[in-house]
Amino acid sequence: MNKLTKFFFKIFGIFAVIYGILFAVFYFDLDGKFLFYIWEPMMIKHYDNMKRKDNTLTPYTKKENVSEDF
Amino acid sequence: MKDLVHIFEFEDLLQEAANPLVKKGRDEGLKALGYTCYFMPEVLLDLPGCFSVRLRAPRSTSPEMATYYMTNRTCMYGRCLLERALEGGFNFLDAQMATETCTVTCRFQEHLQLMDVIHNPDFFCEFTDVPFKKNTNSIEHYEQQLKVHVLDKLHEKFGIDTSDEALLKAIEQHNEVCRLIQEIGSYRKLKNPTITGWEFSIIMLTTLTCPKHLIIDKLRDIAEQLKTREPDVKKNYRVKVLLTGSEEDDPDFIKLIEECGALVVADRHCYGSLPGREEIVVKEGETPLRAIARHYLETSMCPRFMEQHVMRERKQYLADLAKEYDVDGIIISQMKFCEYWSYERTIDTLIIPRDFGIPVCSIEKEYVNNAVGQLRTRFQAFVESIELKNLRKEGA
Amino acid sequence: MKLSEIKDTYRKLFVVEKSPEEKNKPKDLKKELKDFWYGKPHEERNLGKLYVDGTGLYKHREWRGVKDTMYYFNMIWLYNYAHMVTDIMKYGGEGPKSLVDFAKGTFRYRWMGQTYLSVMHWFDRGLEGMRGDALAASAWHYRGMVSETIRQFMCMFASDKKLHGGKTPERWNKNIAHNETVSGNIFYPFRKDLEDVALEMIPYFVSVHVNNHTVLNYIDAAQSIGLPADPCPMCQAEYGLFVLDDYPDYAPTMVTSNEACDGSVATSVLQDWFLNRPLYAMPQPMRYDDPLVQEHCQKEIEGCWKFIEEQYGVKFDWDEYVKWAKSFNKLTEFEWEKWDVAANTKYYPINGVAQALYRIYYSQDGDRPIWHEMDEHVKRIMNKTVKNKIETFPKTRHRAIAWSCAPLYYSNWCTWAYNCWGINCVINMDSLMFDQYLRTDTYEHALEDLSWFNEKAPMRAMAVGGHEHILSLFDYMERFNCDMVIMYDQLQCKGMQGIHGVFEDEFRKRNIHAIWVPHALPDKRTVSRKEIRRIINDYMTTVMRETPLDPSLLDFDDDQSW
Repeated sequence: MNKLTKFFFKIFGIFAVIYGILFAVFYFDLDGKFLFYIWEPMMIKHYDNMKRKDNTLTPYTKKENVSEDF
Repeated sequence: MKDLVHIFEFEDLLQEAANPLVKKGRDEGLKALGYTCYFMPEVLLDLPGCFSVRLRAPRSTSPEMATYYMTNRTCMYGRCLLERALEGGFNFLDAQMATETCTVTCRFQEHLQLMDVIHNPDFFCEFTDVPFKKNTNSIEHYEQQLKVHVLDKLHEKFGIDTSDEALLKAIEQHNEVCRLIQEIGSYRKLKNPTITGWEFSIIMLTTLTCPKHLIIDKLRDIAEQLKTREPDVKKNYRVKVLLTGSEEDDPDFIKLIEECGALVVADRHCYGSLPGREEIVVKEGETPLRAIARHYLETSMCPRFMEQHVMRERKQYLADLAKEYDVDGIIISQMKFCEYWSYERTIDTLIIPRDFGIPVCSIEKEYVNNAVGQLRTRFQAFVESIELKNLRKEGA
Repeated sequence: MKLSEIKDTYRKLFVVEKSPEEKNKPKDLKKELKDFWYGKPHEERNLGKLYVDGTGLYKHREWRGVKDTMYYFNMIWLYNYAHMVTDIMKYGGEGPKSLVDFAKGTFRYRWMGQTYLSVMHWFDRGLEGMRGDALAASAWHYRGMVSETIRQFMCMFASDKKLHGGKTPERWNKNIAHNETVSGNIFYPFRKDLEDVALEMIPYFVSVHVNNHTVLNYIDAAQSIGLPADPCPMCQAEYGLFVLDDYPDYAPTMVTSNEACDGSVATSVLQDWFLNRPLYAMPQPMRYDDPLVQEHCQKEIEGCWKFIEEQYGVKFDWDEYVKWAKSFNKLTEFEWEKWDVAANTKYYPINGVAQALYRIYYSQDGDRPIWHEMDEHVKRIMNKTVKNKIETFPKTRHRAIAWSCAPLYYSNWCTWAYNCWGINCVINMDSLMFDQYLRTDTYEHALEDLSWFNEKAPMRAMAVGGHEHILSLFDYMERFNCDMVIMYDQLQCKGMQGIHGVFEDEFRKRNIHAIWVPHALPDKRTVSRKEIRRIINDYMTTVMRETPLDPSLLDFDDDQSW
């Protein structure tokens, strides 16, 4: 087996392993479990603690007539 | 104060949709035309040969049959109207001049089309499309709709004269009623008003539900009496309020507010006079129908209007009314399940006190008002809060 | 953590429990091999046992046979995850740098961060139990929706003042924000210069379908400042986005409309207040069958165009309109083709949820290249199923039409209904709106068709303008050869509640099997998914006296599911 073939086999092997891992992630729904148990609770905490502008303080005065004659 | 002339007679008239004056009008050979919304110009339904009746369902209890058709998750006004129709309470109607201006009253009127509810062989229900804006395009559209779906129909079905002359005559009669109501209502602006909110609501509702030619003399009598009516020596209210909100045709509700010490001096709601009783002005070169279309769109303050400046003007209008009638606070009342007023009430409750400094009491109620106790507590607390605020102001 | 706890967690998350009968069954290697290769027959799948209790997650994803599992893994799962990265770069306009905007958006907006990565579970729920051509065609519809969603939120993020430290990005001035119920086709004449992006389409509508957890925050926020609980929860949620300051600031103006109901009209006042920028209201007439209302509607559309011209300093471009409208007509033509196959054959390869969501999404959004790309894929599959007479939903016992507005948090109920009971939801009400060709021969014809088109927008096409529209159910039922009605009962929709009894009377009079499905659009707290399934189960067992195809789907807990 020459070097090039070995290299291709190695690449193929790496892809096969990655593909196999991804298939395991897919089949056992590891993506869903990660998102449900780790990602989402973390993000909820983040959003709940976020400082937010109080939009109810937006003034509501009379505005120029922007649409009457359209 | 001395009892107001005709007030108990008017109160009796409001106990039934098919009241004695409506029956009298029909006996005179006039056609009774029902409607539910300000956007159906009553002046057109008051043309010679017919008269308008804005539908109410007084003394309603639980609308069981209508709840089967419309479930218990819709506005009770619409359901009570359907119940009354199913009971035969609207059989006096010759036609229903309908508008699709809010969902549930629209569905009620569609039921009149779908089901054989009104036992009157000539009965028909005709819908008019009402625009959401006040621009020229909308006025033209509205005018055309009124011509085709109201005037032409009335002429075709009942032979009503819908000429410009007839319209001008109707406008004249309508304006006289408006002038009288404005005059009567103006006594609410006095420092110590000589008419109560309850009395005014009875008078206003009578003008909406009875043939006008049969009550106009009585209105004149009332206006005459008010010129000299003296207020009670001892002030019998604690604060003055403006009542705004959705459909409201129950004088007892006004009475409830007033029993809590808040005199209702301005009425900006669906069956109120602000707006509603402004005179129709026919401008030079304008046809009477065009004037009517323009008038009803321009004067209406319905939360259905969507133009940006109009939405914002509505808040200013309330504040201006509050100033004009010198009120201490505003009660915003919303019929439960009314979508328009759900939002309008929410924003008004936040904006009016903050931007205009007027105290607000925000409530939700049913058409059949069973929550008297709760509301009484709310109103009493509101009155007290205003008094406390005034005391604090005086102290400062 | 103790070993026993680890074991318990492992069992809970990964082990599919077998019943004693299954355990005691003698091994049949030949059958097991066959099941491995082709997947289990419908009745033996036990899909309900794959769920992790309460979550809607899978202990393991379904084995659909070698071919379909590998198709799902490669062409759906891997393909879409990969595109969820490449599309960000493609639509962000700045290549890999766009990932920065994406990351900022993800951490800034709840509807984004909680939702985006769970997209593949949205696929899973909608495509559960499906095989072959139906799996492929439905998945292409999903892919189209994901891609278009990415395009829209990347446009928002790239232009968003909030993500750029309050500064005005260049693209901000080139965007028109519009209410999600204003159709994208209104903006065709300006697409050369401007980008039209619906304000609530992604933050609210799409995100609810993918992950309904976020929307509850918005509904609660709306009620926290005094809004009653009874108005349409869709409008409430849209309003809550503003209250929580969770909307991107990506455009200088807003176009709003009265579609579909009173609630939509009423929310305009809040949009105006919170956005505090020029707003154009483009209402459509209610009595839209009336020939007299058309001119009024056309003038409002022209008013909108004039507003855009004045606000942005751009010119109405007729050629641009023609180009997009002609292209959109091709989508409509294919939709009609699809309806024809769905109505008259057993070979329609798209499931109820893909049909409903794709249709409402593309027709509301307007013409975009991705829709054509997806339609090409689906066309190829549909031609094959029709030509080869491939029965795509072979376990169909009932052909159902779904009427009124659907539960947004449970749009995949029809996948469940087919798997559990063989109820095949062939068509739904909101697929039938926008049923209009756009002529492009003259300006007048174009305007005429455009106004008709917008008058027949989702919900309003059937729910307003006269009772005959909503009662057209019975005509459509006949047209699509349906023997059952799934009657969505949106508890807060006044228009539909207001005609409830008439439907009851008609169903009885016509002897039609109709199942009322109560729901509250995006809010699963009012009626849960489990409750919806229970109602259908009860009807099928007590009234229809049928037995389930897959009994494991009768009762399971997915309360916390996305």
